[in-house]
Amino acid sequence: MTRSLNELRPVYVVGIGWHRYQNPSETPYVELGLTAIRAALADARIEWPAVESTYVATALLGMASGRPMLRHLGATGAPLMHVENASASGSTAFRHACIEVASGISDVALAIGVDKRNPVRRPDTGLGNLAEDAIVPFTHFALLTNEYAVRHNASTDDIALVAVKNHRNGAKNPNAQRQQERTLDEVLGGKRVSGSLTSLQCTPIGEGAAAVIVASEDGIRRLGIDAGRAIRTTASVGRSERVYPPGAGFDAALTQETADLALAQAKLAPKDLDIIELHDAFTVEELHYIESIGLCPEGHGVRMLKDGALDIGGQCAINPSGGLIAMGHPIGPTGIGQIGEIVMQLRGEAGPRQHGGARIGLAHMVGVGAVCYVHILQR
Amino acid sequence: MLSNKLLKPGLYSVGSSDGAGPTARLMGGRCRCGYVFFPMQTYGCERCGSHGDALTPCELSAHGTLLAEATVHLHADKNRPAPFTIVKVALDDGPVIRTLLADGSAPVAPGQRVAGTLAAVGQTESGETVLDLRFSVAS
Ligand SMILES: [Zn+2]
Repeated sequence: MTRSLNELRPVYVVGIGWHRYQNPSETPYVELGLTAIRAALADARIEWPAVESTYVATALLGMASGRPMLRHLGATGAPLMHVENASASGSTAFRHACIEVASGISDVALAIGVDKRNPVRRPDTGLGNLAEDAIVPFTHFALLTNEYAVRHNASTDDIALVAVKNHRNGAKNPNAQRQQERTLDEVLGGKRVSGSLTSLQCTPIGEGAAAVIVASEDGIRRLGIDAGRAIRTTASVGRSERVYPPGAGFDAALTQETADLALAQAKLAPKDLDIIELHDAFTVEELHYIESIGLCPEGHGVRMLKDGALDIGGQCAINPSGGLIAMGHPIGPTGIGQIGEIVMQLRGEAGPRQHGGARIGLAHMVGVGAVCYVHILQR
Repeated sequence: MLSNKLLKPGLYSVGSSDGAGPTARLMGGRCRCGYVFFPMQTYGCERCGSHGDALTPCELSAHGTLLAEATVHLHADKNRPAPFTIVKVALDDGPVIRTLLADGSAPVAPGQRVAGTLAAVGQTESGETVLDLRFSVAS
């Protein structure tokens, strides 16, 4: 018989840390990663030797980047592994750190995401294609924007309001790459990228690091960690794309089935969610995914957005961190940074961007392939 | 006489000619489970996993309905200078494909009928005309 994460022993996030997401710089990845790990250790108030296992999420650094970074914390001999799962690399590393602790193999594990912007090399499958060299991710989502706008009679200006909200949230986040509020005119007036997408509706290219430490109840007791600041992971689900009906958007369909499984695992309904951190690399994605997760019927996302229901302080705060559009998307760190944001919010430690009374948060990532990961955290 | 050369002969072939130039046939495949896919391959069926003899070549009509379009304004690859327009088309025979709108095509919108033709995109050193698939409004 198989078991889901929440049927194993409880696992808690006990430490979170970042190196700010930023424009590409000369800072070596080692420094980015160590900054985030040391911040997470300090947040948990534990020392490095307490970490029994490390999952390094990175997509663009090259082979075996973990040990040349981790050795500077003091080489303890603890196991480490690298996780590459496109945009979902960090979410996947977090899932496996949780599974290791929940299974009882370790009491304390680290998920660290770190990346620098390097050229992306895609595998050669040996199959031909018509024009894939001309269809980069922003064009994939420009096509989905066109489809969404026509199907739901939504204006592309309204879809761009997602960026206004997420830049507003990012302006309050010291770890965000973009920390500037933007008006709708600024968003629409920016550089045109593809279809109706402008540059401020697209995630920026950047670098950074994010770390989370997870622990069992035994680990929390043994190390004297403050249990009052520990946030439990109550669901973890990973899925990959299936064959959907012709014309169905696979990003949304995959998100729907993954989120449904996660909500069922935590025995929750979409209306129970206080916070969602989701993969808003491009504005239209936020609308697709809140509808797929079940916050509202298909095509009603714009109405929720315009009503303020998705704001910090609204019905369900979407991307209070600023999301991929404002906080940034350095690839390896992104999914781990989402977990850190939710933990900060559920602890009530999010300062000027605190969503009042937050008790339940959901983190969602998709990665090209496609894969999808959803986690639920509860106070 | 000058001849034509297909840029990607593994993906399409020349069908009958009409006023707008040679029409295209897409070289897809069909699994014995009924799943129709593009392009043809024998690695295995994405729906049921059958491989080898279960997968047979199947010519697909290049007629379909437009699902979405996007004009690309920024593109890093200098071999493909922007602007150009990408279309997402539900082929009448099943698969959904994405490729380029023909240069000089009338603007297109979701729901419109479109068709693929083979358009001249360059010349080889020996003077052959290179043809590649482009979509435009169905005549
Ligand atoms: Zn099949």
